[in-house]
Amino acid sequence: MKKLLTVLLAAALLLGMVSLASAEETGKVYYLNFKPEADQAWQDLAKAYTEQTGVEVKVLTAASGTYSDTLTAEMEKKDAAPTLFQIGNAEGVVTWGDYALPLDGTDLINEMTTADFNLKNANGETVAVGYCYEAYGIITNKELLEKAGHSVDEIKDFASLKAVADDIHARAEELGFDAFTSAGLDGSSSWRFSGHLTNMPLFYEFRDDGITEQPATVKGSYLNAYKNIWDLYITDSAADPAKLSTYTGGAAEEEFMTGKAVFFQNGTWEYATLSEAVDPANLTMLPIYCGVEGEENAALCAGTENCWAVNSQASEADQKATLDFLKWVVTSEEGTKMMAEQFGPIPFKSAKEPENVFFKVANEYLAAGKYVVTWAFNFTPDVDNWRAGIVSALEQYSAGTADWGEVEYAFVDGWAKCYEATH
Amino acid sequence: MKKKGRKAAGAVTSPLIRRPIQRQFAIFLLPTFLCFCIGFLWPFIQGIYLSFNKFSTISNTSWVGFGNYVKAFQDDGFRHAFGFTAMVAVTSLVLINVLAFAVAFALTKSIRGSNLFRGVFFVPNLIGGIVLGYIWKTLINSVLPVSMSIQANYGFWGLIVVMCWQQIGYMMIIYIAGLQAVPEDMLEAAKIDGASGWKTLWHIILPNVMPSITICTFLSLTNGFKLYDQNLVLTNGAPVRRGVGMTEMLALNIANNFTTANQRGVAQAKAVLFFILVTTIALVQLRLTRSKEVQQ
Amino acid sequence: MEIPMKKRITDERNTPGKKALTVFFVVISVLWMMPIVIVLYNSLKTNGAVNTQLFALPNAETFVGFDNYINGMTFGNYPFYLSAAYSVFITLASTFLILLCTSMAAWYISRVSDTFSKVVYYLCVFSMVVPFQMVMFTLANTARDLHLDTPWTIPVVYLGFGAGLAVFMFVGFVKSIPIDIEEAAAIDGCGPLRTFFSVVLPMMKPTLISVGVLEIMWVWNDYLLPYLVLDVTKYKTIPIHIQYLQGSYGKVDLGATMALIILSLLPIVIFYLTCQKHIIKGVAAGAVKG
Repeated sequence: MKKLLTVLLAAALLLGMVSLASAEETGKVYYLNFKPEADQAWQDLAKAYTEQTGVEVKVLTAASGTYSDTLTAEMEKKDAAPTLFQIGNAEGVVTWGDYALPLDGTDLINEMTTADFNLKNANGETVAVGYCYEAYGIITNKELLEKAGHSVDEIKDFASLKAVADDIHARAEELGFDAFTSAGLDGSSSWRFSGHLTNMPLFYEFRDDGITEQPATVKGSYLNAYKNIWDLYITDSAADPAKLSTYTGGAAEEEFMTGKAVFFQNGTWEYATLSEAVDPANLTMLPIYCGVEGEENAALCAGTENCWAVNSQASEADQKATLDFLKWVVTSEEGTKMMAEQFGPIPFKSAKEPENVFFKVANEYLAAGKYVVTWAFNFTPDVDNWRAGIVSALEQYSAGTADWGEVEYAFVDGWAKCYEATH
Repeated sequence: MKKKGRKAAGAVTSPLIRRPIQRQFAIFLLPTFLCFCIGFLWPFIQGIYLSFNKFSTISNTSWVGFGNYVKAFQDDGFRHAFGFTAMVAVTSLVLINVLAFAVAFALTKSIRGSNLFRGVFFVPNLIGGIVLGYIWKTLINSVLPVSMSIQANYGFWGLIVVMCWQQIGYMMIIYIAGLQAVPEDMLEAAKIDGASGWKTLWHIILPNVMPSITICTFLSLTNGFKLYDQNLVLTNGAPVRRGVGMTEMLALNIANNFTTANQRGVAQAKAVLFFILVTTIALVQLRLTRSKEVQQ
Repeated sequence: MEIPMKKRITDERNTPGKKALTVFFVVISVLWMMPIVIVLYNSLKTNGAVNTQLFALPNAETFVGFDNYINGMTFGNYPFYLSAAYSVFITLASTFLILLCTSMAAWYISRVSDTFSKVVYYLCVFSMVVPFQMVMFTLANTARDLHLDTPWTIPVVYLGFGAGLAVFMFVGFVKSIPIDIEEAAAIDGCGPLRTFFSVVLPMMKPTLISVGVLEIMWVWNDYLLPYLVLDVTKYKTIPIHIQYLQGSYGKVDLGATMALIILSLLPIVIFYLTCQKHIIKGVAAGAVKG
């Protein structure tokens, strides 16, 4: 009798423990997605995961340009806050560091092929995982270039790029196309120059000074290079430099797609749109040469603004569920397929090969042993304000109502001010 | 008018009415009062408190005394915005009122189609600042050699044009009401005395429309100081010179300041200063113009 | 009596000076309407033509009929018809709520007239001068905490922030109503609710219209308050939508934007044409708020 009772009791205890444990394990995943264009793909993937594992995965997508507002609002919902969110850059780590779980040693990290795109906090812990990367440079229409009597192989550095561009621009009327697409400073286009192009002087300065975290000030030691390339963009183009603020991103894209210009500064993400109009065989991407010593060894600018962070304030079960989900995303057939389609070559061991020509070019540069121009602009403090200052200065400089000093001020003093405002 | 209203106020209630209504406080006053607390009173009080704190979210504040106010005064952008706003407000005040009065004066001269013209002048007032700004931004930028966001003086006059277009019709309505209330017999007497047109305008009409002038100057001045939507759409403060938005007005400067998380305390302090400024202007301006009104 | 009067007026209108003034105002009126007219005919042109030759009338090559209107409805990553629907709902619901609640509150304030209601009244008057920036951050936060960030609940915020002017105008009016009628109703055994709805409210009609007009115009055109309070990823109003169109990354279709501007003007123009008199009266009445 006693024995039976003990057995029963033990069984009950065991059952209880099992049920307790399983109750603990069913965490939920709530992903606040950054990319509206990938919304459907995430929703489908979340559904597939829930069907397979029974773990609830909710995906909410913030509308374009509203991510930080949405994240702030969602994080205030203490019990229903996102378990998985996005940190874009060093500033994001400062703002959201308290919410980001250190991920070192997790299965997710162990699946990665490079740590180049990850973000670390002040203690050197990896708090956000760069799950994809993008590259940008000068997208080039090879067919047009050949029509003008030049070839991609001629272009090795800034001097050769300028020679080719100047020649095409001088003969624009006869050729029926110009060298560069419009360097529009409308909000839909200006980030190409206030964000992506400013990366060139920032990258070289940080490289020289060995800077690896957000600096309080910058010197602008390579601003002459920035001026070189900007002058080239606005001179060797059909657009009126005095009216750059009226040129949109769509306008530049259309000029390139309709064969009105050979060069178009943009990134890998443009592939889907451009390949509709231009034969992929005629598309390639050149590094941005701007007159820096040794730049003939430069590869494309590559980096990411897409890093996953796991909410450290979420319950342990939710954190675990989230990490499990991520591991599945980067290892499973469904996950890697979706990631390759939406995000190109992801830096994970089980990644699938994408068809995007620009990524192939990016890889070729790397295979040739050239150095990656990493995304130094990820350190930009108070990003929107700093960039707005640059845009306004470029606009005035191009129209001739202000001198280059205005751009220098926006770049150097603007940085210091923006740093101060956010620290 | 006012005096009469106040005298009648003494007799506006009687116990017969009062008691039963008071018993139904929860139905009559409470809903409005609660919403008023949510929509104004609490945010206002909290706003004053927060202006003495450093915060990025409301749940996490630290007391800094007048630190935010000091920072606000040290901010070049804020100081410049103050000067620019004053310039916009005063210029628009003069232009709007002179033009609106002139239009009202002409349209009360019983000319053919005057009702239609009044209607036409009033239309822009129906359009909200964002849409109105967008229309004008498109028009102005395609006429000018460079856009308003490059030349600050273009941006300035752009704002003035937009404000005139929007507000002249509105002020005109108020002036017309004022002009129609000028006593006929005074005008007749002036005519018989052989007073010139200017003299009549200066000595008879203007003093009599002083209440309208009070209202209109008050409205256009505070409208000018509080302008936000149009400023946002037309230039958003650009061009930026040495880190200062050359066409940034106070309201826009404050609203933009709120978007930088660590600057919210300073932004709130600026907002309190802005509130004090607008209130002071309104009070001083009302007192000044009221004292010139004809005692009736 | 009447015929000579009329004759006198027509005579007065026909002096050369007045004729010249009429002609002058015809010209000015046409110019005054030009911005809207230009947007109107540009809304019928192709995107490229709007960009390059804004002032040219549409011709055979650039005319696209109502394509811009059809495209505009779904252009961008948020459909316009949704913004329009939210705008209409928010405007009507807020105006209704404001009219109902503040008229009742104003009656209570003027008829009870105790210390508390006087304090509320002066606070309302005070709130009229306060610029929105003073409360923009805290109001948005309060609204979010109380889950008032949807189109269905934002009328509460509008009632709160807009109560000042409405209460002020209604109190001004109630003070001018003789109390005898209400007393008579009370003697007849009417409770306050009945007295209010069957006796006071009908008398308030002119003020109801004035306040209604002002609130409709305010809420319909308002940008910053709904932008801060609403969850803009899910809900946009027309002004927010228009502002997003020019700031959005990616393609800007100017033809479609012109069409959307016309669509956003349409309701307010119809509103104006149908009740022009009330609108002008309302505006003049609201101006007295100083």
